[in-house]
Amino acid sequence: MRLILVDKPGAHRQNFHPLTLSRPLWELRCGMTSLGERLRAKVGTSDVAYFLPEYMAEVYRAKAGRPVNDPASLAGADILIVDARVKADGFKVPAGRSEVGVDEQGEVLYAFVTAGDLKKVQGKDIAAFLESAKAALPNVRCELPTWNYTWDLILASPHQIAADFAVAGRSGIEGTVEEPNAIRGSRKDVYIAKGAKIHPMVVIDAESGPIYIEEDVEVHPFTRIEGPCYVGRKSILLGAKCREGNSIGPWCRIGGEVEESIIQGYSNKYHDGFLGHAYVGEWVNLGALTTNSDLKNDYTTVSVMLDGKHTIDTGSTKVGCLIGDHTKTSVGVFFNTGSVVGAMAIIMATGKPLPKFIPSFAWFVEGVVTKGFGRKSLYETAATAMSRRKCRWAEADRSMWEAIFEMTAGPRDEAVKKGRKAMMSKS
Amino acid sequence: MATVEERVKAVTARVLRFDPKDIQPESSFTEDLGAESVQSIELVAMFEEEFGIEMDEDAALSVTTVGGAVEFITNVCKAQGVAVEE
Repeated sequence: MRLILVDKPGAHRQNFHPLTLSRPLWELRCGMTSLGERLRAKVGTSDVAYFLPEYMAEVYRAKAGRPVNDPASLAGADILIVDARVKADGFKVPAGRSEVGVDEQGEVLYAFVTAGDLKKVQGKDIAAFLESAKAALPNVRCELPTWNYTWDLILASPHQIAADFAVAGRSGIEGTVEEPNAIRGSRKDVYIAKGAKIHPMVVIDAESGPIYIEEDVEVHPFTRIEGPCYVGRKSILLGAKCREGNSIGPWCRIGGEVEESIIQGYSNKYHDGFLGHAYVGEWVNLGALTTNSDLKNDYTTVSVMLDGKHTIDTGSTKVGCLIGDHTKTSVGVFFNTGSVVGAMAIIMATGKPLPKFIPSFAWFVEGVVTKGFGRKSLYETAATAMSRRKCRWAEADRSMWEAIFEMTAGPRDEAVKKGRKAMMSKS
Repeated sequence: MATVEERVKAVTARVLRFDPKDIQPESSFTEDLGAESVQSIELVAMFEEEFGIEMDEDAALSVTTVGGAVEFITNVCKAQGVAVEE
């Protein structure tokens, strides 16, 4: 069976901005893996194809090594098309006869089409194909659990790490642990992969949850890691107070205090400063003492503005910040509870908490959003940052980010106008 | 109506806190007038507001002198159909 993951354009994927501006939804992390890895494992196939918004197709094609937005992948085998928002844990993989799972709004969450039934379904693109499948094949009303917002991932991640650790079935120390060191809790709840180096004076506290440290991770002295925790390959912890529930992707540099946060990968939070209940994209650099609030003083639930206009009550008292790819902060930046910081933004400290919404490509300088030094210098910096981790900024990346620049123009232009007024009244 | 040069000098004087008399066409924004990077961003924003134009940030920020800014802004105004006194 071929698994086809679908990230449909529209309102659902905007609920995961700014993280999904530059990646398909299934690449988002929760627990030890991405949502896509979990769905692939659930279905148990390596024959996978993808459908995603066209503006990011070329970049993703280079990364995925599998068919992307290719109509040919909708033929030649039994196919299972799954909306990437579907939670793998609650998904019962269909088999036998063709069926289309629809939610109570009539939206297709999955479609299983046997090779024999493919002739009944037509459509030039994935949206048309799904509509055709819905019309031609038996429908099943389903109440499948779905991921609806980025904070769903943050809040579920600690529990998911523990579940993933159990499924991975690994424990023990294959890397190097230099003495003196302290491992609290059961050693069965700790896995240190080969090539990982744990320096002296590190505390690995698995009493409240498992800790999984991937290959070639380096943990510097005076780091304390509390489980559940996942640290991706080649990441370095630099005397970090790594509180419970963190999922840290590959190639990160993490210092200071981090709690129940997801860091996608290739990002740096080298210095002191608190990051809690946050989701940080790739190629982000948080300057020294950059800190976010994740709890309001009155303990009420946190609201978030994903589009800069409309607030959404998260229903949780703990939500930190959401930061898009390639964003950089200066020293001493304070993010308010439930802040949304777009991708490719440059944030300079003001000495007080920043606005709760900062658009993508914004240069936040002297307390206002400006156009700053423009996109060229942002792209040059992105290329430099990527080359330092042996990744290449290609023409396709530039094209994708140009599309994102256009997509995110509305709130940014409004913020720039507001900033101009503030500048003029000051000068 | 004031000329482009007079208006550029007035904006520069206001943002960088200089007397307009002390600003010459050959004055360098950074070396002579001490503009820091943040003030360069502010200057571009204020020139856009003053003339009602949109400038390409990369091109605008590559201008180094007041005279260069006058020439650059005059060209942008022409290209965008904004009437100015040369």
